[in-house]
Amino acid sequence: MICSEPFEKLGKTQARVFGVPDLPLVMIPHPLGGLSLEQVEGRAEVAIPQVVKLIKASSQ
Amino acid sequence: MSDLSELLQSPGASIEADDDFDAINRLYLERGWGDGLPLIPPTVPRVEAMLAWCDRPWNEAVAKIPPRYGEATPLRLAANAVMAGCRPEYFPLYLLAIEAMCEQPFNLYAVQATTHVCAPLVIVNGPVARELDINCGHNALGPGWQANATIGRAIRLALINIGGAIPALGDMSTYGGPSKYSFLAAENEAQSPWEPLHVERGLPQGASAVTVVGAECPHNVNDHESISGAGILTTIAGTMATTGNNDTYYPDAQPLVVFGPEHARTVANDGFDKAKVRQFLYEHATLPLGKFSKENIERRFKVAYKDQYASAGPDAVVRAVQRPDNILIAVIGGAGKHSAYFPTFGQTLAVTRALKMHDGALAKSVHDFKR
Repeated sequence: MICSEPFEKLGKTQARVFGVPDLPLVMIPHPLGGLSLEQVEGRAEVAIPQVVKLIKASSQ
Repeated sequence: MSDLSELLQSPGASIEADDDFDAINRLYLERGWGDGLPLIPPTVPRVEAMLAWCDRPWNEAVAKIPPRYGEATPLRLAANAVMAGCRPEYFPLYLLAIEAMCEQPFNLYAVQATTHVCAPLVIVNGPVARELDINCGHNALGPGWQANATIGRAIRLALINIGGAIPALGDMSTYGGPSKYSFLAAENEAQSPWEPLHVERGLPQGASAVTVVGAECPHNVNDHESISGAGILTTIAGTMATTGNNDTYYPDAQPLVVFGPEHARTVANDGFDKAKVRQFLYEHATLPLGKFSKENIERRFKVAYKDQYASAGPDAVVRAVQRPDNILIAVIGGAGKHSAYFPTFGQTLAVTRALKMHDGALAKSVHDFKR
């Protein structure tokens, strides 16, 4: 699950109520709306290392 | 039915506090419970009096309220109804409203957690609206009327205390709105020239019902000059056709038009039934694409609605509502040349639900529920 910063607590609550409290959240800076394409790519650059880290951790 | 003293033995079912109004309210504020206003302490006798109007098992959830998906049991709802100041006989209608807004098409999770300003608006129809003296006339959506104020507040307390709609935790509304304190009125059936909302939506005339709409606060439509139905509808269409409404963006959105009784009469006297009203508003609630910002045109209309707008110029038509049948219509209010437009969250469908006994029979009166 990808989450921007103000939504982190809501994301964690959702993970807990759906029975996966340890679900990792990939955090990106807020906002998501009103971004230029370059800024969207910037969000992806923040997210990708976190996703790679999670994949490596789960394969160990 | 259940034994309350037995239910209160289960973990977390009750808290002990000094018998002191201020101390109890301090405790609630510390724990983040409530709407910020003083609460009536839900003592055992008060909760028991509320539950005397419930024919369901008191500890079995009637719904789960998102985003926390807390179990809305009659016991928990009764405590919230007490805290809000409800009279016990309001309880069956309150429980019905909670059930209705937890039905899947309403999309309560999104209504609760969105950054948008929407809140569940509850419109009450049928004999129970009159039995409980729910205001449908002057200031029906404003303060000064016990049933409207307290049932609406009890709903909000359940959304917060059971559902977890706490600011910045489960309620992410950018700025919120006064409708999040209380948002409930009855339809003014006696002064409506059209069939009541619940009948139009498939229920028998004698049924009592709630219709929930994930709506913004009302946008007023002042028209003191039009003396024709088309004139009034033209003014309403103009209020509907503004930039920035979610309903413009979502094809299934169901915005609500509430007619003041005087406007409704003028419109109906000119031969407009609800179907004709819808068709007129659908056709006239339009604005040119050029009214939207360049970025909205490029990034939303030309992408999400490529078929319509990929090569469209600034005069291309954008509709406030995408199908005539999507427009909800009700009549609420007292004297005056005003009506109202309620844009919605856009990704929520109105739900109408009849007041029924636990065995499924339509309730004729709230007294049907009394133990």
